[in-house]
Amino acid sequence: MAAITSSVPLADAPQTRRKFPFLLIALLLPMAIINFIAFVLPVVRLGMISFIESRSGGVLTNNYTLENYVSFFTDSFSFELVANSLTLGFGVTLITLCCAYPIALFLHRVSPKWRNMLFVITVSPLLVSSVVRTYGWMVILGDQGVVNGILMSSGIIDSPLRLTNNTLGVFIGMVEVLIPYMALSLIAGFGRLENVYEEAAASLGANRWTRFRRVILPLTAPGIALGCLLCFVLSISSFITPKLLGGGRVFLLATEIYDQAVIQLEWPTAAAISVIVLIIFGLALAVYSRVVKRFD
Amino acid sequence: MQTQELRQEPLAAETNPGDQAFLKLKGITKRYGADYMAVDDLDIDVPKGKLLGLLGPSGCGKTTTLRMIAGLLDITKGKITIDGDDISHKPPHKRDIGLVFQNYALFPHMTVAQNVAFGLEMRGVNRVEARDRVEEALEMVRLPGYGERKPKEMSGGQQQRVALARALVIRPRLLLLDEPLSNLDAKLRDDMRIEIREIQQRLQITTVFVTHDQVEALTMCDLVGVMHKGKLAQLGTPEDIYERPADLFVADFVGRTNVLGCEIEALDRVRIGASVYPCDTRGLTSGKAKAAIRPHRISLTPSRDRSLVSMATNAAHGKVTRVTYIGDVVQYDIDIGGNTLTTEVHTASAGHSFQSGEKLLCEWKPQDMQVFAQGSGS
Repeated sequence: MAAITSSVPLADAPQTRRKFPFLLIALLLPMAIINFIAFVLPVVRLGMISFIESRSGGVLTNNYTLENYVSFFTDSFSFELVANSLTLGFGVTLITLCCAYPIALFLHRVSPKWRNMLFVITVSPLLVSSVVRTYGWMVILGDQGVVNGILMSSGIIDSPLRLTNNTLGVFIGMVEVLIPYMALSLIAGFGRLENVYEEAAASLGANRWTRFRRVILPLTAPGIALGCLLCFVLSISSFITPKLLGGGRVFLLATEIYDQAVIQLEWPTAAAISVIVLIIFGLALAVYSRVVKRFD
Repeated sequence: MQTQELRQEPLAAETNPGDQAFLKLKGITKRYGADYMAVDDLDIDVPKGKLLGLLGPSGCGKTTTLRMIAGLLDITKGKITIDGDDISHKPPHKRDIGLVFQNYALFPHMTVAQNVAFGLEMRGVNRVEARDRVEEALEMVRLPGYGERKPKEMSGGQQQRVALARALVIRPRLLLLDEPLSNLDAKLRDDMRIEIREIQQRLQITTVFVTHDQVEALTMCDLVGVMHKGKLAQLGTPEDIYERPADLFVADFVGRTNVLGCEIEALDRVRIGASVYPCDTRGLTSGKAKAAIRPHRISLTPSRDRSLVSMATNAAHGKVTRVTYIGDVVQYDIDIGGNTLTTEVHTASAGHSFQSGEKLLCEWKPQDMQVFAQGSGS
């Protein structure tokens, strides 16, 4: 490019303009191809399978039908699944936000000397697979686990608390798994928050709580929205932690998809539920973009 | 003699009983760690309605002082009172002080009107009155009708005026300005200087203004406190600071000045190089000292016999070593036998221009040469 600009600019201007889109396409092409093969095609295929009629035992036919969706929406168990998943999604997201927000705010304000180290510590759980961490929670929360062991040996309780194989266990595990994601998103969205705004608010007569409500919270809203979107999507789509800590007693859309696809081998049903989950994600994304626009 | 008259006026004003100190800083100190004194035992009184400028190089403690007055920093020691009310340890939101920040600090998520209304809202002013006062404040800073804009849609100068409106709309007891002009370009800075001063005088609001720019301090302020290494080097009117600097630091920092090493001959004369010059040594009788002369107080004429020059003036023969054309003035560096004097001649008033290498005579009045003890204010 340097060689071109050094010669007569008038003659070269159209040439550089022609070259630019070519370069752009050449650079974007590999990613576009990978995305098409690895994402667009499978999603289209998933959508197609969800309309295929299946015979008992999971045998796929060549007939297309709405039966998979009709049976989903006519089964009251489906609504229980949706309700459970949404409760988990919103509940886990809210608790994770409350846990990660103070961490993120502290990391944003701490002196740069400590920030990098503390930041690495905050996200370090991501270095360990969430499966491993979930097993760790089973050890801690189980009937013979660390928590119950301490409580029982110290005589506070007589019989173990039910901390796993129920919704409580799933919540605990999910929140811990998602805190690093939430903290990362929050920090990424805290760019506009500067100490000087709080000082300005204080000089105008705002006390601590008002400063938080009127200045810090609105300025960190983009981070909150991003973190909530990410955690909501991750908690609804996760099935390993709910399966292990729920002990097969917590029924969610994600676990149902797993059961239908892997155990029942009912791919069309699994695909139909997947499409419904995709629609829920689409709605979450729409809400997110509206929130971000409002606070921009 | 003119300087004598100028000196009378502020002194009379300060001794006026109706003009007692409104803002009082008594021995305020800020210490970091074990022994770093950011601000060291500062005593300043500001009469009601006056504008105090805190002037000094970066790191001298002027911003620290301002932040302590605002309550954004704890004071290590000392006492701050406004109109007799001890605010030394009140949290910032209870001090009732208007504050304008260097980078304006307008809330980016609020409109201009919401920004200005924020302080009124905190004070529970009702909606209708708040709306009127916001519009009035925006008119005062010449931004009527800008209320619905977002800060990022405005220029730096406009944001600065919004920040001023936001600080003043709450009718604070005290206004603090932290380098408010340093982010503006030169032309705008001149306009804002006049505008801020006009508003300050119209509202008769006691103001503390932090700046590293001596022109701002001299032109805008009733009182100037020159700070150096956490201490107050001098407190006085702009004339005091400029004409009668307390020490070498003040002389050197405020305005351009020539500093020459000299030897005290007697109470009324010093030796610079091989020549002896009459001047007031301010009590020094012997030893090495520094002599300071402002460049524009030195007049230049083509070289002539020393005996033709009035004995009432100091004179030195020299040779031009460098000519620097600045526009409004021409700067001549003149070698006077080992020492270099920088002099300034207004281009409009210059009867003649000199060339590099030309021999000429430098003359200055003895009272324009200030003598400071070696190491004073360093």
